[in-house]
Order: sequence, then C-alpha cells, then structure tokens
Amino acid sequence: MRNVSGLLFSGGLAFLLLVMVAQLPFGQPLMLVGQQILQVSPNEVGTANVVAAVLLAYRGIDTLGELAILFTAASGVGLILGHLYSANSGSNKKVDKSGFITLKGTELMVPLLLVVGFYIIFYGHVTPGGGFQGGVILAIAFFLPTLVRSDAHLDHQLINVIEGLAGAVFILIGLWAMLYHHAFLQPFFNSVFVKGHLGDLFSAGTLPLLYLALGLKVGAELAGLLSMIADFPELTGEQNK
Amino acid sequence: MDKLVLLVVLPLLAAFLMPVLARTSQVLARLSGLSVLLISIVLVLSVWGDVDKQAVSFAIGGYQPPLGIVFYIDQLSLLFALLIPVMVLLFWPWNRLCHIREYSLLMLLTASASGLVLSGDLFNIYVFYELLAVASYGLVAVQVKQGQHPSVALAASLRYLLLGSVGSVMMLLGIAIIYLQTGTLNLAHLSLLAPDALNNSIGLSAFALILIGLGVKAELFPVNSWVPEVYGAVSTRLSALMAGLLSKLAVIVIVRLLVLLFPQPEALHLMTILGMLGVISGELVAWRAKDMTRMLAFSSIGQLGLVFIAFSLPGNIGLLAGFAIALHHLVVKPALFMLAEGWSGSLEKLSGVAKSSPYSAALFVLLAMSLLGIPPLPGFWAKLLLVTNLAAQVEPIYSIALVFILLATVLEATYLYRVVLLLYKKDTSSKPSFVRSHTRFDWLTAMGLACVLLISVVQLPAVEKKLVAMAYQSGNRFLYIHTVFVRADSNIPVHAQQELTPKMPPIPAIGSDS
Amino acid sequence: MTIEVVLLIGAIGLILLGLAGLFIHNNVFRMVLALVLLESGVNLLVILSGFYRSGVAPIFLTGSEAGQAMTDPIPQALVLTAIVIGVGVQALALALILRIKAYYNTLDMAEIRQQMEYDLAADTGVTSPASAQSPDTLVRSKTIYSDENKHEHMQGDKKIGEPANG
Repeated sequence: MRNVSGLLFSGGLAFLLLVMVAQLPFGQPLMLVGQQILQVSPNEVGTANVVAAVLLAYRGIDTLGELAILFTAASGVGLILGHLYSANSGSNKKVDKSGFITLKGTELMVPLLLVVGFYIIFYGHVTPGGGFQGGVILAIAFFLPTLVRSDAHLDHQLINVIEGLAGAVFILIGLWAMLYHHAFLQPFFNSVFVKGHLGDLFSAGTLPLLYLALGLKVGAELAGLLSMIADFPELTGEQNK
Repeated sequence: MDKLVLLVVLPLLAAFLMPVLARTSQVLARLSGLSVLLISIVLVLSVWGDVDKQAVSFAIGGYQPPLGIVFYIDQLSLLFALLIPVMVLLFWPWNRLCHIREYSLLMLLTASASGLVLSGDLFNIYVFYELLAVASYGLVAVQVKQGQHPSVALAASLRYLLLGSVGSVMMLLGIAIIYLQTGTLNLAHLSLLAPDALNNSIGLSAFALILIGLGVKAELFPVNSWVPEVYGAVSTRLSALMAGLLSKLAVIVIVRLLVLLFPQPEALHLMTILGMLGVISGELVAWRAKDMTRMLAFSSIGQLGLVFIAFSLPGNIGLLAGFAIALHHLVVKPALFMLAEGWSGSLEKLSGVAKSSPYSAALFVLLAMSLLGIPPLPGFWAKLLLVTNLAAQVEPIYSIALVFILLATVLEATYLYRVVLLLYKKDTSSKPSFVRSHTRFDWLTAMGLACVLLISVVQLPAVEKKLVAMAYQSGNRFLYIHTVFVRADSNIPVHAQQELTPKMPPIPAIGSDS
Repeated sequence: MTIEVVLLIGAIGLILLGLAGLFIHNNVFRMVLALVLLESGVNLLVILSGFYRSGVAPIFLTGSEAGQAMTDPIPQALVLTAIVIGVGVQALALALILRIKAYYNTLDMAEIRQQMEYDLAADTGVTSPASAQSPDTLVRSKTIYSDENKHEHMQGDKKIGEPANG
C-alpha cells in the first residue's frame, strides 16, 4: 500500500515537473537579479568570480547559515556516536597493514592535497573554487593518513578548536565590518585590504579572509566528521561476524 | 534597527565558541548561552515600540534589495523575535547536566528561529529552516525522556530526518520553480511580480511543494507522522519547545508567503482541506490515546489543523483568528507538556491524583478548559472568532470545515473530561500507584504560563487591539513592498497605506548607494 | 535534442528514482542513498535554471571579450549551499543508522519501526497502541547489548563534567 501510494506520488511529481519544465523558460532564464549583479559586482565587490561575490557579499548570511548547518551536523554526529572527542579515541582501532604503495602514495599525496586545497581557497574569488571546495580537499588531506596508517590519529581536540575559532572568526569579520559603520558582513576596503584590480589575488577587500576562515572550518569539520564515522567500533572492530 | 541582525549572529557566535570555551571552563560556556539569550531579549525590548506605526526593513551587508538580503521587522516578527529567546530560556534543560554540544544545538536553534521570522528573502528562509531542522534532528536524537531507552530517540530522529529531508527537497524544488518563473528571490520583489507571474497553476504547484516542506515542521497533514513518535521519545522540555514554538514558526512563514506571494483562492482552499484532515485525524487519535504524552501530541496536531483553517480564511480576519489560536496554543500546550512530565505513563495511573497534588490538577483543569474553549478564557475568544467567521463565509468548503471543527471540539471535550474525571476520582480502592510529583521548576513553568493566560483574560481588550494591529500590518502586501523598496524611514501610517493605489514603487537604479 | 533537454530529463529522472527509492526500499541505508539521489536531482534542476545557451561561466577572466553573455550566478550559489546542507544531513543520517544498527541489530525500517513502537509503549506502561488484532507479545529481536549494558554504555560515553572534553 505504501509502495503503491509512494510510486503514484513520485510518478505524479515527475509528470508535473515535466509539464512545468515545458512551460518554464529553461535555456533563456529571466535573470532579473542575476543580470543586475553581473553588471554591478565588478565595481561594488571587485571579485572576478561573480559566484564568490554572490556567495560572500550579496548572500553572505546564507553562507553563514550554511556554515552553521555543517557545524550542527558535526555536533549532532559527535553527540550521537558517543565519540565525544575524547583524547584517545580510535586508539584501539585495528587497521589492516597497508601495502607499500598505499603508504608511499599517501605520503606523496598529502602535501599535494594541502597545496591544491589552499590554492583553491586563496584563489577562490578569482578562479572557480572557494572555501567549501578547498575545504573538502583539505579535509581529505587531514583524514587520509588516519585511514592508511594505524598510528596516525586525528587530534579531535585540535579539530574542535579550529572549527570553533574559524567559525567565530567568520562572524567576527562580519561584526568588524559593522563596527566600521558598514553593515554586517559587508566586505569593505581599507589600506590593508585593498580593492585591487579584478583578477588579482589581493582584491575585493576583506572578502578573501572570509573564504579562508570558511575553508579552514570546513576542512577541520569534515575531517573530524569522517574520522568519527570511520572510528565507530562497529565499523573497525569486528572484521568477521 | 539593524542591530537586530545580532539576534541571529550572537547565538551563532555563542554556539561556535561554546566547545572552545568549555575546554577552559564548563560553567563559563553554559553561562555564555544564557547571557546571549538575555541580551537578545533586551535587544528586542529596546526596539519594541518602534514598529507600531510602520514596519522597518534593513539590508544585510548593505546591498540594497533585490540584490542583497533584507530583514523585515514588523509587529509579527518582533513578537516572535521576543518569544523565541523567552521560550528557549524557559525550556532550557536546567534539570539535567547536558553535554556542551547540546547547549550549542539549542543556541543554533535560537539563531535559526530568529532568522526565520526576520528574513525577507526566500532562499534565506530555506537556509534558516534547514538549520532549524538539523538542530532539531540532533536534539531529538540525544535528549531522551527520563527512563526511556536511548535507542527510541535515535529511531524517532531517523524517521523525522527522512521525512524532513524529503520535505526540504520539495521546498527547494518549489523555490527553484519560483525563481525560474520570476527571476528573483526577494520576497518584496516577488510580491510585486506575483499577480502576473505566480497567479497560475505553476504558482500553485510551487506553493504546494513549499507547503510540503514547511508542513513537516508545522505538523500539517499528511507529513505529521513524526509527531507522536518524537514527542513520545524525547524529554518533555524539548517537546514543549517544539510543539509550542517551532511549529508556530513554520506556520508564520507559510502565512507570510501566502500573503505576499500567493493571493489566489486555490492556495487558501488547499490549506483548508489539509487543515480539516489534520483536525479530524488528530482529535480522533487523541481520543483513543492511552497516555498523556501521546494524547497531547495528537491534540497538538489537531490544534494546528485549526490554525491552518483559520489562516485559510480570506482577508485580515483570517490572520486575526489564526494569530489568536496560534498564540493561545503557544502558551497552553507547553504548560500541558510540563504537567505531563510528572504524569507520564498510562492514564490509568493518574486516578485520584488530585488528592496528592491538588494544585497541579487545578492547573490541568484550567488549561484544558482554555484549550477546549470555555469562556471567559482566551481559548474561547479565539475559537469563537474562528467559528463565527467560518460561518460567515459563502463558500461550501468553509461550512464543511465548520462541521469538522465542531465534531473535533466534541471529541476534545470527551478526552479532556475523561482525564479530569480520572484525576478527581474519589474512590480509589486499590493502592494508588506512585506518580512522580512534579519538580518545582516544571510546576512553576506551567504556573507561569497559566498566569499569562489569566492575565490575558483580564487584559482582553488590550490583547485584542494588539492582535488586530498585527493582523492589519501583516496582511498588508503594499506596506511590505513599500517598506522594503522605499527608504526605511517612511512614516506613512498603517491605515492610510491600505488605501494606497497599487502603484509599483521603482526598483532602485543599478549602482545605488549602500 | 539540445543539451539542456537531455540534462533536464536526467534531472527529473534522478528525482523520480530518488523519490520512488525512498518509498520502495525497506533498508534504511538504501533509503538514505535514495535521498542522496533525490537531492542530486533537485540540485541539477536548480543549476539548469540558470543555464544560458551560448553563455560562459560568470567569471571575469582577463582577456575575455566584453559583452559575452554569462550564465546566472545566483543558482550556482544556491546549489553550493544546498549541496553542503545535503552533506550535513546525510552525515547525520549515517551516524543515526550506525547507532541504530548497534542497538537494534537490524537495518530494516519495518522492524525498526516495530521496535520503536514497542519501546515507546513499554516505557509508558501501556499496551502497544496498535490495533486490537495485533498479537500481545511483539517479538523483540536480539540486540548486542543487554538492557543494563546499554545504559552503562551511554553513561560511560557521555563523560559529563570532564573539563578536558570539548
């Protein structure tokens, strides 16, 4: 019964969507606001990557909410798994002895991942990329050694501190803008954080700082999240049930 | 006025810093949460009278709408902005020592709830709604009822999560359709474009999809299957907070969207039908419930069905009736949950309890009478408003709704009276089973809420005046558009704005000053 | 068959698969995977709403000719947010599934629901609120931890009050 009604609902929804898609202007979007943003943002915000301008300047508070959602999910996972960031968590996990290629490959990969991750974060406002994308790569860089080597543990205390402080730094940058008679979370320009030219690394004022805080937070958080799930005793303990 | 963004930002800051602070001092971390709530209350009270005549909006980040995101403050938003920290403070888990991350989750809940009522942008509402949802999934999973097995809360949380995620995906789909159809996400801009762009079947389907999303939290039929499971599994403080506060927030968002974006009558009829189904299903199952928490959970579904039917009445009178019932439920239901904390377990165990705890029993009688709608309590006035206006409508769907409501009231009377009879049963030949008496704090909370009820009985004209003003202000689409697109300090009084001809205010030129 | 028609049909197909999968599957993990599909489909649909034929990415590259039509940047920012939200929810769902498997030793939604109803009813001391025809004794599947161990396990995990914990 549940299956039938469920299938009917999905089929109906798919049919509805097909009908609507035929009527809606796909391929020729209205772009009322998008057009304005494309025209205004090089002067107002100064980033070459307009999506970064939308994400951090025009819709900065959405990004703040999204940060908070990731933090909430990580807190929830920590509370649920009962892991609770104890200092010696995961010390009793058994990892199969990795082969030579895996070990050496990881040793080579981790620095590369760090470099690529930080590059994507720093140049996020100039080229495609940004805090989230770079942060995910950083998370892998932090997490990979713990998968491969049995003596590498993620220091959850440090992860906590990084994620908390990075999130607070994001908000504090926004409040700092508020103190200087701007609005909350407005990227502003002064002598240190110059407006610069479009396409420079140092452009768009305080906006790259936001991406940096974002990237570090996401990196630390996802690494901690992955590590908590991977260290769950059910998954690492009994190999054969 | 733009310091009201701190209502969202400060709880987020507290949430992020709590785990870091807890490494040095646990007490400091807990105090930071409480102090942020107090600061929020002070902040709201400091601007309390400023929106009586006109609404205010300010742009976040200084980018003018429709490019940036605006926060819109009117009497409705301010009332809920006040209620949110007050209720979180009231239902703070004083009675147990929680892990610091749980307090973090509560702070995130506060921040997202405040953002939800203040925001004036469609996608921003979605983001805050998701934050609220994820925070509540986390809290539901760990705040287990006393004496309950922790695995129940986990299972309930998982089912809630799956249902809620489907709803959120539907909401995102609806938002995408609206964006495709109109090209903007700002509520005021959308409201300008709505009579041309959204007044068709596409707009209606977008509304239905968004309704599924918001309806999960608002306990709308049919996405309310999570309610009895979750309220049975979690601590009564959290249930009280969720049933009292969070459901109302979702309803308020739906109302804003209805007023601004979807003025077509089909949308109202959809709400009426879903409300009717909710009322009847809720009260029927509550009638059969054998323990207090389940009964209250289903009664909550029924009452929210009433709220939906009220908001589906066209015009400002629907808003008035809806606000009255919603606010009344916000006060009464948490108080009942607080009483249910001590009285958990089968209803049979409650027989003769009035002898040992007479005040609690009297409190229950008072709250039940108000829930039912017995004069002179405020519940009566709210229901009377709803019933008379339903009867005054011409369309047949409202008459059917009226019949359903009357039936539901009869059922409500039956099961509430049954409990009262049990409480005051005289001849208990068997040894009365031990019922945990209420802790001092639970009882005081319930008493405090009942006092609010009694005060509103005495101050009924003032309450009514405030609600009428709120309804007029919220129902005024032109006021919204005017406030957001014209500078914030327009001082055209509320009443005159209703006679304004629907002239479209000009969209600000490109490159305007911040 | 232009590219956007193909992509649109693909997106709607993903939505259909995800939604149908949620209803059909009984295994909780598969339901989460179906949810992932559903979210991917919707994200794809949202991105497509900004698609501009013959448009380029909304990035001002040095050396690009002026006047080139760019695709809409707003849906891309929206989808970034939506993807991250999805990741958070999926991680939470996985954690819940891990714990539920540890307690109930099953991943079957019907069994989990039955267990949950049983536990809810048992803890309140009423007979199960199911229909009058249901059997009196619900079969309780074997769990890894016995009741006493379960409470201890949770207590030990919490480590409440230790200042060293985050």
